[in-house]
Amino acid sequence: MTEFVQQFVDGLGRGGIYALLALGLALIFGVMHLVNFAHGETITVPAYVAFGISLAVGGNWWLIVPAVIVAAVLVSVATEFVAFRWVRGSSDFTMLLTSFGVHFVVVAVFVMAVSPKAKNFEKPGWIFNTVRVGGVSFEIVDLVTIGVTLATLVLTVSILRKTLFGIAIRAAAEDFDAARLMGVRSNRVIRSAFALAGFLAGVAAVFWLMRTGEAEPGAGLVPLLKGVIAAIIGGLGSLTGAVLGGFALGLAEVYLRAWLPGNLAGLTEGAVFLLIALLFIVRPQGFVTVRRAERV
Amino acid sequence: MVRGNLVGRLLLPGAGSLAVFGLLVGGGLLYASGGGTARDTLVTQMLVNAVLVIGLQIFIGNTGILSFGHMGFAAVAGYTFALLAIAPRFKERSVPDAPFGLADVQLGIAPAMVIAVAVTLALGLIVGLGLIRSGAKSGAIAATMITLALLFVVYEVARNYPDLTNGRVGLTFGPGNSLSDRTWIYVILFVAILSARLFRETETGRLAQAAREDDLAARAMGVNPTYPQLAALLLSVVVIAVGASLRTHVLGSMTPEFFFFGYTLLTLVMLIVGGRNGVTGAVLGVIVITAGNEFTRYLAGGDVSVPGLNWLLQEGLSDIFLGGAMLLFMILRPEGLLGDWEIDFPLRRLLRRLPLPGGAKRASPVPAAARPDPSRLSASEVTVLFGGFRALDGSSIEARADEIVGLIGPNGAGKTTLLNVVTGIVIPAEGRFSLGERVLTGEQPHVIARAGLARTFQNLRLFPALSVRENVSVAALVAARHRSDRVLPDPDELLVAAGLWEQRDRRARELDYGAARALELARAAAAAPAFLLLDEPTSGLGEAESAAMIDHVRATAAAIGAGVLVIDHDLHFITTICDRIYVLDQGRVIAEGTPAEVQADPAVQVAYLGASG
Amino acid sequence: MLGVERLTTRYGSITAIREVSLRVGAGEVVGLIGPNGAGKTTLLATVAGLLDPAAGRVELDGREVTGASPDRMLRRGVALVPERRRLFADLTVQENLLVAGITATGGERRERLGEVVELFPVLGQKWGAQAGYLSGGEAQQLAIARALMSNPRLILMDEPTLGLAPVLVDVVFELIGRLREQGRTLLVVEQNARRLLRAADRAYVLRTGSIVAEGAGDELLARPGLFEAYVGVGAGGEVPGA
Repeated sequence: MTEFVQQFVDGLGRGGIYALLALGLALIFGVMHLVNFAHGETITVPAYVAFGISLAVGGNWWLIVPAVIVAAVLVSVATEFVAFRWVRGSSDFTMLLTSFGVHFVVVAVFVMAVSPKAKNFEKPGWIFNTVRVGGVSFEIVDLVTIGVTLATLVLTVSILRKTLFGIAIRAAAEDFDAARLMGVRSNRVIRSAFALAGFLAGVAAVFWLMRTGEAEPGAGLVPLLKGVIAAIIGGLGSLTGAVLGGFALGLAEVYLRAWLPGNLAGLTEGAVFLLIALLFIVRPQGFVTVRRAERV
Repeated sequence: MVRGNLVGRLLLPGAGSLAVFGLLVGGGLLYASGGGTARDTLVTQMLVNAVLVIGLQIFIGNTGILSFGHMGFAAVAGYTFALLAIAPRFKERSVPDAPFGLADVQLGIAPAMVIAVAVTLALGLIVGLGLIRSGAKSGAIAATMITLALLFVVYEVARNYPDLTNGRVGLTFGPGNSLSDRTWIYVILFVAILSARLFRETETGRLAQAAREDDLAARAMGVNPTYPQLAALLLSVVVIAVGASLRTHVLGSMTPEFFFFGYTLLTLVMLIVGGRNGVTGAVLGVIVITAGNEFTRYLAGGDVSVPGLNWLLQEGLSDIFLGGAMLLFMILRPEGLLGDWEIDFPLRRLLRRLPLPGGAKRASPVPAAARPDPSRLSASEVTVLFGGFRALDGSSIEARADEIVGLIGPNGAGKTTLLNVVTGIVIPAEGRFSLGERVLTGEQPHVIARAGLARTFQNLRLFPALSVRENVSVAALVAARHRSDRVLPDPDELLVAAGLWEQRDRRARELDYGAARALELARAAAAAPAFLLLDEPTSGLGEAESAAMIDHVRATAAAIGAGVLVIDHDLHFITTICDRIYVLDQGRVIAEGTPAEVQADPAVQVAYLGASG
Repeated sequence: MLGVERLTTRYGSITAIREVSLRVGAGEVVGLIGPNGAGKTTLLATVAGLLDPAAGRVELDGREVTGASPDRMLRRGVALVPERRRLFADLTVQENLLVAGITATGGERRERLGEVVELFPVLGQKWGAQAGYLSGGEAQQLAIARALMSNPRLILMDEPTLGLAPVLVDVVFELIGRLREQGRTLLVVEQNARRLLRAADRAYVLRTGSIVAEGAGDELLARPGLFEAYVGVGAGGEVPGA
């Protein structure tokens, strides 16, 4: 039981990171029908920002956290400006490959500008501390992740629900042309979606980097893939689905790891991807269905 | 016909393949003749890369499904090949505990390659069935994710199952292994190019391309894209597996990174830059990217110095080149340099100028009338709900195969919905429909099409990148397989009758609107249906064209012996062409009868113009 | 107020409207009728800025606005009630209205919400309901209410009675009358041609992309053979009074 609870918290902690990424991906998908494989760069670039700061003034996380979030927002908006703006309305094939192109260019830039090898920076001191609650010990980083993730999600949901800006994004995600007819400006709403997605990814990046403590050119790839997977599990385009998909994926990973016999533990990641492949085979449209009618 | 086929399907593409092969190898040898082992190695690698890129082309080009997983197949083949072909004395050091006694096996290159292909093919079959289950179609994200997951599964297993793969270090052939002689490579490369080029022209390839162009329209013509897509996948897996074995052999080792993201990028960029839908394009991409890559490597190699730019000239530049090429092409020219152009196309055009045996096609009286099908199409009490909205509310209609029946009614009356129901695109909440004795409710669109219902679409759904003739021949192919109990119309004669013969080699997307409408009708007719279902055939046409459409629909229906169910808003058209008309309003049939009866019906005037009182 | 001159719009190779010219004076209710596929929706969408015309010009109060984006048209006082309503089904009634008021200032928005509820009491009762769950009549009222949120001077309505029961058709026409009383200008596309012609000051008949007849509503209604001209019985060119 104790173990179960620990794993549950661990799973929620991971899942929160995926949920933040998936929510951003779902927002972007909603406004421009793009599955953004360059969304991982909102982790890669901040990773180097964190590394740069540690190098310059030491691992001061009071500085790193805001810098990481700002960097993520800027990166997200910049990718839209540099690349995605020009393929708006193109085929899914073209947009997908465009986002891969962005990913590869960013990777190459860091290979060139820094190094192909991973650079380490100091993790926050309290990262390995644990706290005992009723006989169960939890890692503080998990608890903080869960807390902040939930707070961020609540904040995001209230932005999307309560502010005019958020309502406009949701409207545009549902019917882009109708939103334009209501006076919503397409450039602005798409840029806003990228900015908001960048902010969410920035928060995710903070916790991801606290855990890994390293910057490498491909740093964003694995979290990105998990985010994409979570978003698709959630029915791509459904914001609630994306969040649920993220937590579900996190929990599945943790329990799978615990359940696999010791000598196969190294294959957890492989098994996760295998499960994901099976999932898409069985339920390609995800688990939250989005109303979408094709007119013929 | 047979001879034309032989020339068009075999000889010309064969000659084209030879030319493409010659250009690639010739270019390579020319470069290598500049001297140096480095150049020699580069050329060898380029030729091997070309095999893998062609493998990708076969799948991605023909199906339009973006696969990131093909390098996963390549990795499986590479490891299988390496485990079988590496001498036991080397495996003793790297994988002494390999399962199935693999540590003691030593096979020659050819048998090892054959087994590698077989193993990969088995995996390809499993993945392919999975892709089908997921409803893969052009641009489907789930399919792309499945292939991506495959890439990662293979990668993770390769890294974390050292007993078999020696983990990150990988497997190494002993010294003295390198291929001094390229004969094998040439043979494999040529066969790869040839099979990719020929596959494009096969019936299976055509059906896959039709589904790539428009999945729904293909299904509505009776194409079940599943098998063509699976065939494309398996053929591509074979080519990839051979290419991967070759690459493993040439490089003399195998590690998890060999066929992972970096190589996926390289091969995809090669495929896309040249033009993914053609074999010539794919090969051109290999040449261009290899050259570009080499040039950036040279720039980054430290021998070049440009004042102010030296920060750029270093490791990583070639990756920027690759990623940048992908980005630029996606933004500026997503179809690639050549699109789907093949080197043998000009030859074909040249050949067309010569009179073909059998004489030029004339606008002969339309083909001999087939016996009218006695069956009747009936839909009874059909109800369709969209959310809470009743698009159809218990509508019943019936049509015989020797009449032309109209379906009219104001906007939103449910006409197209009814057509979608009887073609399997919309599943009704209640009611059933049948063709003759056969109940078709709930069947898939391609099953219904094969049973004898062929349709056109309100917003024209042709196969845009296929030629006019190919559009029609796709439907004819399906008819030949599934409707052979009828007299099949000759697709060429249908083109002549539609006035499209002169334009037969143009792409459907280049046609003007009237011609495109005519082509859609010809395509439906080529499916040899018992009923033609036409959704607004005159929409977007001018008065004269609409008037011409009356004779054209009649002649076509008579020629193939099919009944017609037609929706149109042009009452002149409808009242002239139809024997009987159903009037729909708000999802219900409100009137039925001859054109004169319907026109005189006050309820119809109300439905169209509103109450007069 | 609105001037359209020789406007042509294409979708790929299809010419949906060809050199259409029409005028709508301030305070007028102008009808646009014609069979399906005639280009009515295309015309409205082009005027509203949703489609780019291939040729011709659109003027608003004498100033050229050809090719302006929908949000700019809205800011200049032109709102479109689109065909099939295009409500944001997952958003609540209130949220649908708020988005539609995005061009207004906060104060104006609150004021208009009040006006809209007064005009459509039923929307006030469904304030928090998702638009996807509204009945047909409620949905159409919301669609029109959305257009009013930007306080437009010119309202383009595309098939406002589509799919509505006869009782609700009355409601819509009553509303058109009230909007006219408020001094707004309307250009309305409608299947229910007789009804529209009675309600409109003037009307145009569009057929296969071109205007084939125009005149005062009553006069068009009284013309013999309108039904035939409208639905295309009799070959082209023989449209009475064109």
